[in-house]
Amino acid sequence: MNVQTPFAAALLDPARPCPDGLVTWNGSDPARRFQVYRNNVIVSLVDALADTFAVTQQLVGDEFFRAMARLYACAHPPRSPVLALYGGDFPAFIEGFPPAAGLPYLADVARLEYLRVVAYHAADASPVDPTALAALLTDESALPALRMRLHPALAVLPSDAAVVSLWAAHQGVGALEEVIPEVPETALILRQGLEVDVRQIPAAAGAFIATLGAGLPLGQAAARATALDGGFDLAGALGLLLQSSAITALNPVLPQ
Amino acid sequence: MTTARHFLPPGVGGSAPGAGTLPARSGLGLKPEHFHSILETLPDLGFFEIHAENYMVEGGPYHHYLTRIRSHYPLSIHGVGLSIGAEAGLDETHLDRLAALIKRYAPQSFSEHLAWSSHGGVFLNDLLPLPYHAETLHRVCAHIDRVQERLQRPMLLENPATYVEFADSTFGEADFISEVVRRTGCGLLLDVSNVHVSCVNHGRDPRAFIAALPLAATGQIHLAGFARDVDAAGDPLLIDSHGAPVADEVWRLYRCALEMLGPVPTLIERDNDVPAFPVLLAEARKAEAMLSTFAEAGEPA
Amino acid sequence: MNAITSKSITAASLALALGAALTVAAAPAAAQDKMADKEKCYGVAMKGKNDCRAGAGTTCAGTSKVDYQGNAWNLVPKGSCVKTASPTSPTGFGQLAEFKEKKA
Repeated sequence: MNVQTPFAAALLDPARPCPDGLVTWNGSDPARRFQVYRNNVIVSLVDALADTFAVTQQLVGDEFFRAMARLYACAHPPRSPVLALYGGDFPAFIEGFPPAAGLPYLADVARLEYLRVVAYHAADASPVDPTALAALLTDESALPALRMRLHPALAVLPSDAAVVSLWAAHQGVGALEEVIPEVPETALILRQGLEVDVRQIPAAAGAFIATLGAGLPLGQAAARATALDGGFDLAGALGLLLQSSAITALNPVLPQ
Repeated sequence: MTTARHFLPPGVGGSAPGAGTLPARSGLGLKPEHFHSILETLPDLGFFEIHAENYMVEGGPYHHYLTRIRSHYPLSIHGVGLSIGAEAGLDETHLDRLAALIKRYAPQSFSEHLAWSSHGGVFLNDLLPLPYHAETLHRVCAHIDRVQERLQRPMLLENPATYVEFADSTFGEADFISEVVRRTGCGLLLDVSNVHVSCVNHGRDPRAFIAALPLAATGQIHLAGFARDVDAAGDPLLIDSHGAPVADEVWRLYRCALEMLGPVPTLIERDNDVPAFPVLLAEARKAEAMLSTFAEAGEPA
Repeated sequence: MNAITSKSITAASLALALGAALTVAAAPAAAQDKMADKEKCYGVAMKGKNDCRAGAGTTCAGTSKVDYQGNAWNLVPKGSCVKTASPTSPTGFGQLAEFKEKKA
């Protein structure tokens, strides 16, 4: 007997009737009681999204956010009981949600918020000893082919919007009134110790770090960044990675 | 499938052997907002309990703090996503994650719910009810056998808070749980608040319900607050919200349970509207005071 | 693109940059005035105020909150977004312009 298929379907679709076969001790309508389960499921999923996407919620207001999150939760319920990482495709949903079209930056702010949660829970990793890097200077011909593994809790988010400034203004850094949302910004998200930092970096530095992080060699990453911006500051970008303990392996053996 | 009957149920009250079980004291659910407070003050508390799924992440602060807190306190791992009552088979990937977590933190207790929460690859994030009949009994037992076999330890099964019942149920809930415990050798997590909530919601006598449970297998008690609503007939409908202090009715029912059981490790659960740590600590102290009167009075045979 | 543009980045310039980065990173914190400039260039790191911003946790509890089926299609965002400047804002310079000024 398959009870759970109609039960689950009715939980996520309020247009469906209460499932058959439910009874109550006092003969009252079980639909009213079934609504408790529906509330538990939908409200808890909307609350889960509100936890992760707090700035997104502040930007659009509670009523708009909860209505949008509710549509998403019913159409894209979690596939895993690990709820901390629920909502990975919520930013894409926002991007395609017509009532939010007037806020083209909203999806990227949501992406930033999700990457913060991912960074918060990402694996721990120790940085390479700087002396190992210094040793590479003895054979500079090997440097263009040098690959680095970057910290699992590091991510780059290039955006057409002022994603860092918009986010920061909701953390009490800078005034929202002074942010021009259309100005492109690139965010670097990384966990240092127990705290997740967000900082704005030049687009070229973002391309450099993202290319390295994808496992491509140093020469290629530097070339890509320089092509984007002739003034790309390679020493500064490498210094940032070193200072942030973000380089965790040199020339790692790549999985086949 | 091999059964897990060779596992002894976790000890009742203080009669359990040494380090392998939770002390018959009170404990609190571990909330991230209290990590600092706990490590700074190291309050005298019997144990902490975590929800397994919240720690199924790779690294970062959660593991950092849990590792430190674990070094000071016994630990109970309470699963909320295994979906033991699911019509489909158990999620072996999830079971693997659970096994890894249990290996890492070596908890004194592992528990899960008599409920389902996943279906068709979707996690519904609620503990959903199941009918109680031969088919569901067989399925729940098979799943618990598999869990105990994979984890190589007995689990505790928690009685649920429910809002509806099924027309095709042929067992009462207490009889169903008794049969599961008898067949699988698992223990009982007696959630006294769930007893109260379900008995009010289904017009049952909570004391008779508790007395019909397999009390000798009790390894832990849960206490929590609930919210009040009404059903379509205007009768009380209680919602297991974990969002309020433990109600007087539940404290009374707890005392009644302790009279039947003797002292049992007792958790205060608060998951919504979580107050400052000292507020929860005061509730734990209240449970501990009740536990200690039963410890002094001696344990039942 | 890579084969061609790679040529513009010589091994020597990579070595130079890496050497400079290592020197800066190895300098004691108090003496890193050069790094202080970099910090400005790369934006001040901002931490979330709430270090529990860890995404959602599971709970084994139900809720007394009621699912409100608002019609999202008719709603208009009216949170803090109403404070953001319009594209035609006369204040002109955005954050990037400001950043480039500092970098120059």
